[in-house]
Amino acid sequence: MIEFREVTYVHENGVRALDGITLKIDTGETVAIVGENGAGKTTLIKHVTGLLKPTSGAVLVDGIDTRQTSTAALSRRVGIAFQNPDHQLFSESVKEEIAFALRNFGFPPSLVEQRVSWGLQLFGLEEYRESSPLVLSGGEKKRLTLACILAWDPEVVMLDEPTVGQDAIQKEKLAGTIRMLGSTGKTVVVVSHDIEFLWPLQSRVVVMKSGRIVADGPAPEVMTQKEMLESARVAEPQLVSFYQALVRRPRSPFVDALEARLWIEGDKAADSGRPAVT
Amino acid sequence: MWLSSGFIFRKGTSRYHKLDPRVKLLISALMFVTTLIVRSVFQLAIVLVFMVAVAAVATVLKRVARTMALTATFSAFIFVINIVFTRNLETSALYASRFVAIVVSTSLFFITTSPDELEQVMKMFRLPRDVVFAFVTAVRFIPVMMLDALQIMDAQKSRGLELEKGNLLRRVRNMIPILIPLVVNAVVRSGELAEAMESRAYGAVARPTSLMEYRARAGDRAVAVFAIVTFAFAAYSFYFLLPTFMP
Repeated sequence: MIEFREVTYVHENGVRALDGITLKIDTGETVAIVGENGAGKTTLIKHVTGLLKPTSGAVLVDGIDTRQTSTAALSRRVGIAFQNPDHQLFSESVKEEIAFALRNFGFPPSLVEQRVSWGLQLFGLEEYRESSPLVLSGGEKKRLTLACILAWDPEVVMLDEPTVGQDAIQKEKLAGTIRMLGSTGKTVVVVSHDIEFLWPLQSRVVVMKSGRIVADGPAPEVMTQKEMLESARVAEPQLVSFYQALVRRPRSPFVDALEARLWIEGDKAADSGRPAVT
Repeated sequence: MWLSSGFIFRKGTSRYHKLDPRVKLLISALMFVTTLIVRSVFQLAIVLVFMVAVAAVATVLKRVARTMALTATFSAFIFVINIVFTRNLETSALYASRFVAIVVSTSLFFITTSPDELEQVMKMFRLPRDVVFAFVTAVRFIPVMMLDALQIMDAQKSRGLELEKGNLLRRVRNMIPILIPLVVNAVVRSGELAEAMESRAYGAVARPTSLMEYRARAGDRAVAVFAIVTFAFAAYSFYFLLPTFMP
């Protein structure tokens, strides 16, 4: 479990990036964090691996206070795929890039080979096994960074803007991977501006604004609060706009967007793991 | 961090910031020369006090103090080396503190002068346009590269890289995952910048017009005269009035 207790983080220049954040993420939960640029999303997830230490308050990962342990020790449990893949790729080949963290964590060579092959296969990068990671396209680099993280099988996977530079097919695959990780009991935290990508995941959504959490709950509840989303400069998913339009039609049988969604998506909405209408 | 504190411009509203960049360059150059002509630690201490006063006027005292503190490590190294080879405490102290003074004198110019002003100053000295552009772009990109370096370090640390682990050789090797992405990013960025500049007609005319034209005001001239007179007085004093304490 990840727990933020009244976490405040103030940058060296005095900017308050996080302001009294209290948040609990249970083991096996999938959480999407949304908010405008500078809302504090990346700062928040950097606290989980101890890359940043809170100015006040505490961050606990499975009961371990991040201030009391090293980033290297926390990284074994928590994998972060950062937004810009160019900030981490350096190896001579794609397979070496994936093996880098595994060797740092002391995996035996046979397991390194096995995990590298698994990662390459999962993200469709087998043909680039011996290629330099620097010659890959933007989307391929992004997938490689994800493979690098998942290869060491961390308990918590944090993805910072994972859809940047990905085409529609890759986005679908990525959504499938996130669902797969969720179904295997991993805790997944996705930081993204891509609301259309997040909506089908139907996960818990945390909305941030100016270093604070302004909404936290199931996607169907949070993503239909138009005024709140607008105040946090987050766009409403197109499907929700469609449901809202249905509600606004004359003689509409729906009371609100959630009811319209339930009617259209039927069992799928009802079985999304959380009640669609509360 | 040292570079950030000592050499990167941040906007300021002090009177010193608003001075003509040529005058700021003149003041820094005179302070620089003064540090080279002093003959004792006592004289150098006076110059340093003057620099601190200028920093206070420019409201960058904290940054200059930080620069001085961060420079102290190099300064201590210079002191030790000189003690070993010259076995003269006074000379070693003079060389060590001279290094601090040189850094502060140049730092005062860079932290109060924007890259745009720097560009204008270099153009006024009729340096080749490409050289000016390359230099100013390099200055502009220092903060960007520092941010890149921090992000790269975060990314690699989160993959289990421990930069502080192991002996010296191991630590140097640990820097490879930081340096390669940093250099590759810089090269890629410079290529992109070159394309962007060409697509915006860079080099299309031999003498492009300038958005800003600097004309020294009466206040700027007065400060320049004051700086020159102070320098002349200091030089005279150091050679004829003040004790040197030199053997």
